[in-house]
Amino acid sequence: MCCRILIVDDHPSFRASARVVLESDGFDVVGEAADGASALEECCRLRPEVVLLDVQLPDTDGFNVCAAITAHAQHPIVIMTSSRDGSDFGPLVTTSGACGFVPKAELSGERVQELLRS
Amino acid sequence: MSGLRRALGLVAVEGIVVGLVALAIVLSSDRVEGKAATAVLGLFLGWSWIGVGLYAWWRRPDNRFGVLMTAVGFAFFLTVLVSADAPALFTIGVLFSSLYLAVFVHMLLAYPDGRIESPRLRRVLAGGYALALLGPLPTLTVADSDVLGCECPESFLFITDAPTLFRVLDVITSTLAVVLVGYILYVLVKRWQVASQPQRSTMAPVLWSGICLLFVLAGSLTSMAVDGPEAVSDATSLLGMVIFALTPYGFLFGLLRSRVLRAGAVTELLHRLGDAPDRSGLREMLSEALGDRSLSLVYWLEDKRRWVDAAGRPATLPAEDDPARAFTRVEREGRAVGAIVHDRSLCEEQELVRSVAAAAGLSIENERLQAQLRARVEELRSSRARIVEAGTKERRRLERNLHDGAQQRLVALSLTMRLAQTRVHKDPDAAAELLGGAQEELARALEELRELARGIHPAVLSDRGLQPALEALAGRSPVPVELAGTPPQRLPAAVEAAAYFVVAEALTNVAKYANASQARICVSRSNGHAVVEVADDGVGGADPGRGSGLRGLADRVSALDGTLELRSPEGAGTMLRAEIPV
Repeated sequence: MCCRILIVDDHPSFRASARVVLESDGFDVVGEAADGASALEECCRLRPEVVLLDVQLPDTDGFNVCAAITAHAQHPIVIMTSSRDGSDFGPLVTTSGACGFVPKAELSGERVQELLRS
Repeated sequence: MSGLRRALGLVAVEGIVVGLVALAIVLSSDRVEGKAATAVLGLFLGWSWIGVGLYAWWRRPDNRFGVLMTAVGFAFFLTVLVSADAPALFTIGVLFSSLYLAVFVHMLLAYPDGRIESPRLRRVLAGGYALALLGPLPTLTVADSDVLGCECPESFLFITDAPTLFRVLDVITSTLAVVLVGYILYVLVKRWQVASQPQRSTMAPVLWSGICLLFVLAGSLTSMAVDGPEAVSDATSLLGMVIFALTPYGFLFGLLRSRVLRAGAVTELLHRLGDAPDRSGLREMLSEALGDRSLSLVYWLEDKRRWVDAAGRPATLPAEDDPARAFTRVEREGRAVGAIVHDRSLCEEQELVRSVAAAAGLSIENERLQAQLRARVEELRSSRARIVEAGTKERRRLERNLHDGAQQRLVALSLTMRLAQTRVHKDPDAAAELLGGAQEELARALEELRELARGIHPAVLSDRGLQPALEALAGRSPVPVELAGTPPQRLPAAVEAAAYFVVAEALTNVAKYANASQARICVSRSNGHAVVEVADDGVGGADPGRGSGLRGLADRVSALDGTLELRSPEGAGTMLRAEIPV
């Protein structure tokens, strides 16, 4: 159940809440990043197994970051998240190489596990 | 004017007297061959120059060109003294025998306005005068009549007979004269090359006869310097005399032609204007009438206090000191309606331009009304586009604000609630703490939503009117605000909304930039308008182009046919004033 995860989101309040939620569900939150560029750096440095990636970032959009992360051979699994509804993004989630989407308000360790198993 | 006429009449009488004296000198001379022919030719030449010069002087009293032409005529009569038998008169005659050429060159260089602006040309001209006066000195001082090969009276200034010195000095002065004439030719040809079309047509008669005469002069000077055959010298000097005689008539011809053409052009223009020209037609007609292909028309918009072209786009007039372009105002019933922008050389023909302007006044007035309409349409089109753009931008801003503000807080709230739910049995204290945090988060989300809703449209404004809405704005402002008054009756909703946002934007700017200790709001009704004024006692110097806030506000006000005005002198506070028709 212990899974190394990196949280990428530009809102500190969400990063803090997500950390508490995921840790209380047994995840190991290894780091946080606030934008696309530092997300890629932290991915290389921390080598997480899962990246929880917000769609809307200040420097680029989450789908571009996802494509960059999954372009590497030994890449982590990416789960996209947003406060918008998943249906707003059409086919972008699957075409960007992400494993799945979870709305921010419904984030829990259980939902992440479900996506990882699928 | 009669003073000028009397003075010119006096000069004319002097010219006649001087001419008759010259005639008498030639006829009484012992030396001149073909007295009658020489006398008649000389009289004809001198009087031609004086007569045409006086005519030009009378027509254009401000232009010194006529004065110079008259001076050429008088200077020419001085050369007649060479024929005199009395040594004193003969000496003066020889001394001034080339003066008329120097005055002639002066006139050419000063053409067409009679002035020489360039300091270098002035120096060249001074050299010319010096050469004309000093050049004959060798003849008078060191040459006796054998050298000159004539039966001349002895010079008053004669010192000694030195034929070699005379030859040397003569070659030097002739060479200097050739160089000088060559340089002046170069200047004149250069001037022709850079002249615009209308300039050339005014310049042509004088400039070309001048250039021809200088060529002949240079030729004869050269042949004298190299001591060529006498026949060549005689032929060139005859040719020179013919051209010299024709020059004033060339000028007169040009002047009369332009007068005849001018009368014809105005008649023709009046005729064609009757056929109701279209936009480009009017310009074409004026450009043909004035012979200036570069001519353009601009129109005066009184309400905007600016010039526009036929399409209603802002236009600028040439500066007063623009060397190439000038403009002539067109007025109707004392009001400016437009201006004809033309080549500067047409300033020499002010009368023509004015008559054309007067003839075309009505058509230009019509064009002005159309240009005004086009400017208005253009303005409406761009303000409509800006309003649409502002709407899109506003929606984007709202979405962004909702997403970054309330939505994030609600997301965090949802997560906190879930955590609290899982802990409520295992760890009730932690759950209670989480719920407390959630409560605070919820209060902040509500406050943000309220703020956002107010920015979209203040509910208190539609429900209760301007007074309480503006009081609320004043109450939230960090700078103390006095609300001096609002109209007792409600205004139309769109006007109230515009007034509210004018005040809101003004107060935001007061808080951000004005460094003011207080502000004052006043909304009143006057002359069928709602007048909104927000004034502060801050640093002033506000830039109307700053940010998009004022621009958007101006569009909002002008969509209701109102006007927005910003007065912000440096150091004397800022006043934003909107007038909206009710």
